Amino acid sequence: MTWQKKHWLVALISVVMVVAVIVVSLQWSRKNVSQLAQRHNSTIVPLIMIPGSSATENRFDSLVKALNVNRRNPHSLLKIRVAKSDQLTFSGQIRPRDHAPIVVVGFENNHDGYSNIKNQARQFNIAFKALNERLSFSRFEVVGHSNGGLIFTVFLEKDYAQYAPEIQVTKLMTIGSPFNFNERNINNKTQMLSDFIKNRKKLPTNLNVYSVAGTQNYTSDGIVPLTSVMASRYIFQGQVKHFTTMTVSGSDAQHSDLPQNHQIVNLINHYMLTAKRRHLVQPNEPELH
Amino acid sequence: MNRLLMLTASAYRSKAVQVMQQTFQLLFPVILLGSSAEVLKFVFLTASGYVATIFNVTHWLPFDRELSVLMGTIYHCTLGMAGLYGAYGVSYFTVKVYRRQSSPSAGLIGLLAFLMIAFQPRGGGRIAFNPSLMTEGLLVGMLVGYVCGRILCAFKNRRTDLWETMWRLTLIFALAVSVNLLISELRRAGSLSVLAISGPTSTSGDSLSFVLMMGALTELLSWIGIGGPFTASPTFTDPASIANLNHALKAGSPWNVPHPYTDTTLFHSFANFGGNGVMLALMIAILIFSKRANSRTVTKWSIFPALFNSHYAMMVGIPVLFNPIFLLPFTLVPVINMTIAAMLLALHWLPAAVYPVPAGTPGPLIAFLGTNGNWISLLLGIGLIALDVLMYAPFIKLAESVQKSAGELK
Repeated sequence: MTWQKKHWLVALISVVMVVAVIVVSLQWSRKNVSQLAQRHNSTIVPLIMIPGSSATENRFDSLVKALNVNRRNPHSLLKIRVAKSDQLTFSGQIRPRDHAPIVVVGFENNHDGYSNIKNQARQFNIAFKALNERLSFSRFEVVGHSNGGLIFTVFLEKDYAQYAPEIQVTKLMTIGSPFNFNERNINNKTQMLSDFIKNRKKLPTNLNVYSVAGTQNYTSDGIVPLTSVMASRYIFQGQVKHFTTMTVSGSDAQHSDLPQNHQIVNLINHYMLTAKRRHLVQPNEPELH
Repeated sequence: MNRLLMLTASAYRSKAVQVMQQTFQLLFPVILLGSSAEVLKFVFLTASGYVATIFNVTHWLPFDRELSVLMGTIYHCTLGMAGLYGAYGVSYFTVKVYRRQSSPSAGLIGLLAFLMIAFQPRGGGRIAFNPSLMTEGLLVGMLVGYVCGRILCAFKNRRTDLWETMWRLTLIFALAVSVNLLISELRRAGSLSVLAISGPTSTSGDSLSFVLMMGALTELLSWIGIGGPFTASPTFTDPASIANLNHALKAGSPWNVPHPYTDTTLFHSFANFGGNGVMLALMIAILIFSKRANSRTVTKWSIFPALFNSHYAMMVGIPVLFNPIFLLPFTLVPVINMTIAAMLLALHWLPAAVYPVPAGTPGPLIAFLGTNGNWISLLLGIGLIALDVLMYAPFIKLAESVQKSAGELK
């Protein structure tokens, strides 16, 4: 009798303990997996750079070099060249575990003009799709110089919607982008600016936009009028999360020098490339054997 | 059938088997202690261990580091040097059984020979021994002990004759040193991995048949006391696991992963409960079906480490190690488990275990936590254990009737 009682007691205690352990383990597991997912979603955040007209995918080489000065783990540089036939050529490579690589997308057909910008935006979409297949990122940032900013704005208003929930663009910096081409008067809206404003509701609402203008005098950076750069406020302001305009002056503030401008390098370092570094998933060691 | 039984029984009475059994009896307390210390250190007192993770032990327990060091010392000096004690025991009992008189120096000589084989010269006067021979070298140690014992037996025993004693010692030690040189030569040539005594390495491969074969190989090697291709704990660092994890984190669920058949999703999740050979099932089977008091006592003592997948105490306690009766279920039961799990995975009744679990997570919980709480996985684990208990039962009865025929049932 006592033998049986003892056995029942042991069985009861074991069952209670097992249930308790399962419940506690499950709680831990739920917490752990949600943490893992959070970390995973912030793993790789590429910074995509798009050069302006008449420039190639090598346009930002010196800018990337300047960004990497005194960095213990420099940003790696991947370049994608889109040929006229839409064919992609990759050069450079991304270091394993580089969480903020820089990707430059250059176009063989790099002429000016609205129709060509629309074509480049279509080509950018092809490059973007291929890039995401390679890196499978869930967040990215963009720097566009001159027409590069326009190309990306077209992409944002047209093709970006198909990626929208899974892949988020968090930051966009346009540098000397002529949103109203060479028009000095904002009342003379070009076809492109009218289209941008018409479709502005398609812009993502969680985007931070920095519109940077260079100035050689009070009205222009030598090529693009200040009013054309500032026309960006009619597109972004009130639609995206934050919209900031900045004007730089002094040496290297001419339109084509802007990517090498020290202040702009500092701005990129300060506002872009600030995604938090990933914590490694703790490998399960030491092992029992 | 009866003749086979008698044959096995007579094999059980053979001198080599007697030596082995007595050695295992000698080793059991040492191995049990080492196995428990290992579990306490790596599962309870190390931050990445299961109990430490779930209950945050390292945060609130005072002196947890000191305790961990203490447990580490016990583990490394017992289980971590199992080969040493194997050499001692086999050498001692070989002389005792074959000579029918006990000779204390025999054990010492076996132990010395093993140390000479494992010794690795290092600069700066530091003493070092071959780490894989120390931890995984029970088989080698026992072979060394046996050879030493037989050499000692081969000479006429005249204890007073110092000349003869020295001559025997010189022969054994010369042999040991040549084996040592041979091993270092092989190691230099890189062919030692063929001998599989270079310790466990994590293997990744995701085709079903590959995982099943490697699983069977792991069990087979474990049966002769050597670490196989699959580690005892899932590591989650191989490319297939990382791809699975990334997919699951991106999709938000562990279903439809790119590599459904890996060592983690099959072997560790469903075939390694309590350690190799679904040891937990063998233990339950013994507690239910065994009439042998000794087996039941050994099993009860071994429950604690086996809960956290350390199966060594049972391996030498029953013993399962080198025991031909248990070879078949020990290798086959895990393969059956993996096959059933693979079928359910293929039918999409189960998600794959992809999320990392802490070291030493109890076997049936690995799939449950690895799928972030999929109840079907837990139920399947429990169901598989019940099935495995039934599969082990006839072998336990067979083992006991053999022992009875051999006149050893006490």
